[in-house]
Amino acid sequence: MQSEDLIHRLAGDLHPVRPARPPGAATALWVGLATAVIIGAVLFWGLRHDLAERLASGFEAPQLMTALATGVLAAFAAFQLALPDRSRLWALLPLPAALGWLATMGWGCLQDFVKCGPEALHIGVSLPCFSFIIGLGLPLTMVMLWLSRHGAWFSPGPVAALGGLSAAALASIGLSLIHHLDGALMVLIWHGLSVLVVTAIAAKLGPRVMRLGRSG
Amino acid sequence: MSSICLPAYPFVSTLMDAPGLDHAAPDDRDARDLRWSRLMAAAQAGDRRAYDKLLRECLPLLRQICRGRLRDATEAEDAVQDTLLTIHRARASYDASRPFRPWLVAITERRALDRIRARGRRSGRESALELAADLPAPTGSADAALDAERAAAKLRDAVQGLPESQRTALGLTKLQDLTLQEASVRSGMSIGAIKVATHRAVQTLRRRLTGKE
Repeated sequence: MQSEDLIHRLAGDLHPVRPARPPGAATALWVGLATAVIIGAVLFWGLRHDLAERLASGFEAPQLMTALATGVLAAFAAFQLALPDRSRLWALLPLPAALGWLATMGWGCLQDFVKCGPEALHIGVSLPCFSFIIGLGLPLTMVMLWLSRHGAWFSPGPVAALGGLSAAALASIGLSLIHHLDGALMVLIWHGLSVLVVTAIAAKLGPRVMRLGRSG
Repeated sequence: MSSICLPAYPFVSTLMDAPGLDHAAPDDRDARDLRWSRLMAAAQAGDRRAYDKLLRECLPLLRQICRGRLRDATEAEDAVQDTLLTIHRARASYDASRPFRPWLVAITERRALDRIRARGRRSGRESALELAADLPAPTGSADAALDAERAAAKLRDAVQGLPESQRTALGLTKLQDLTLQEASVRSGMSIGAIKVATHRAVQTLRRRLTGKE
């Protein structure tokens, strides 16, 4: 088939589409949706009993702020990469916030160690943490993949991975508001592991999901 | 941030010297970009005439980019058609408040690079076969090579013997790895017809090559 014939066919097949939201607006919508889901989870399970105390202790607040920054910046980067004319360097945008998040958790581990000694490094199993972030992070990732589905044509892997990271970071904030965990090391391991799992699943399966939902 | 892309695509600067395309004065170029942007916005709203006009106006630029990347004319034209399909499928991703040309060029670049990568993979496989042919022949390898050659010739004959619709469907979905929708647009066949023709082509080949139903 000649390209001119293809153009004729494509024009004949044309139907109206709604232009994709600009990355800033898409991020705002995404954060709004994720916040609504997290508020729903908090209303269902209730705030953790020691939240005020933990916020006052100075450990929880920086961790929540850096997790929020990771979630928002990863989403903004994903929406940028979903468009063809944007630099792939946008993928690096959430990196400082993610490193900061890790650093706040690592700093918490050090503080616990200084305060309590080797006992602070005791590692327990916290399946509720793991299942909460996976259980909330994966459905949120699906929403994110839908919102950034145009990226299926351009950078599906990075878009899906960043979407998963954003969803998992925001789910981690929800968990921090609900679930009590003793020890920063436990937070580091279980939150970190869950976020990694959600991001890896999104990177692996996300492009296929986006191909199912891509427009046109 | 979009300007960060440019160093990765050095030939973009050579396009600026292309006759008839980017030799226009900056104001003319801006006016053209604005016109394309308006046509695309109209296309997003469903205006078929605007869309047809836009794609026809863009076609020389797409060809120039693809031919700059791919020496083989047929392959370059395939890349142009891949680009047209992507523009069609991803037309919602264009933001009418931004320049049109960078959006268009970025898509064309990506599809041309996809073709180059696909060609690289193909040539890698072919090189591996050529290297294998240079290896010292183990006992009986002449017979094996002859068998392989016969099998390949038999496969070629079997594919050539397929009805045209089946051959087209098989080529687009299995060799070019297009989606059903893309194959449908490219061939002019319905998605259902593509599915049926591909299935029948595979069945026919299986029957002819193995003798099994």
